[in-house]
Amino acid sequence: MWLPILGLLAGLALGLLVSIQVPLSYVKYSAIAILAAVDTILGGFRAQFEDRFDLRVFLSGFAVNTVFAAGLTALGDLLGLDIYLGAVVAFSIRIFNNVGFIRRDLLGFVWRNRPAEAGKL
Amino acid sequence: MRVTRTWQAGLTAVAVIVGFLLAVQVRTERSIETGLQVTSGRMGEVAYRYRFAEQRQAALRQRIEALRGQIGAEERRAISGRAAVAAIAAELDRTRMLAGLTALHGPGVIVTIADSRRPLRAGEDPNLVLIHYSDVHAVVAALFTAGAEAVAVNDERLVGTTGISCVGTTILCNARRLAPPYRITAIGDPQGLRAAMLARGGVLDQLRAFDFPVMVTVAGDLRVPAYVGGFEHRYARPIVAH
Repeated sequence: MWLPILGLLAGLALGLLVSIQVPLSYVKYSAIAILAAVDTILGGFRAQFEDRFDLRVFLSGFAVNTVFAAGLTALGDLLGLDIYLGAVVAFSIRIFNNVGFIRRDLLGFVWRNRPAEAGKL
Repeated sequence: MRVTRTWQAGLTAVAVIVGFLLAVQVRTERSIETGLQVTSGRMGEVAYRYRFAEQRQAALRQRIEALRGQIGAEERRAISGRAAVAAIAAELDRTRMLAGLTALHGPGVIVTIADSRRPLRAGEDPNLVLIHYSDVHAVVAALFTAGAEAVAVNDERLVGTTGISCVGTTILCNARRLAPPYRITAIGDPQGLRAAMLARGGVLDQLRAFDFPVMVTVAGDLRVPAYVGGFEHRYARPIVAH
């Protein structure tokens, strides 16, 4: 379970080392896409903890959510409507949800090793 | 075990991508904040202001260009105006000279005629021993005919409106009374003028025949003063040709 975290750190290091910048006109979209991606990763962790991880669901969720979030923001800009606010709210709620479930799963994981207290969340 | 491996592989791949994107995004956002002093969310506003400023700048640039063109045109006009003023000044100088309003110098002759010193015989008309205005006039006319460019009698310049007439015992030239001896200075070809003066049967020849003291001197550089009177045209008007 440490491998994804190491991967995240490796990605961060790579991004800091490589001198690439997002074109200024796409900064808004890439920010939303990253928010969606973070949500997907947390969802993956949660699914793993709940033993229902499906690689296809995970990867397709990652791809579709990021692209769709960015696309929705772009559509909002076309319509002059701040649709990205909806995406921000939705993904933020989902992130909090996922973090909450992960927390409970982790707590449950710890407590499952103590049979006496299992089932009492 | 297999499920664990796919889980780890997929999540790691995505984590690397997200980490990379996150780092790039953060760096971009930082550069925007340090460069523009605003967050990326307010970039639309910045872009609007930028466009506005750009439009203003383009308009100002056009104005600069227009003003530069205007300055160039004004400069050209000033230069041509200066040239025109210089041409007018030169023309005016020439016209003044032709009108006799400038003192001139140059080679020429000095003709001196005076009343005869011969004593009058009894009963003789005193007019026979006096120089008349017609004599002076004849000398001046002969000088102009011989090509004199400027003539003065006793330092009174002769111009286009000069009349030589008789007033009692003196001669009126312009508005001045002249008394003998008459010293007529003329600028022109010295030899030509001298030849015209000394011509056989000429004015001086006749005067000399009547014992008037006559003298013709060639001068290398003599001075003719400027006409100091006025020009008045109360009736004459120029005929404007269309």
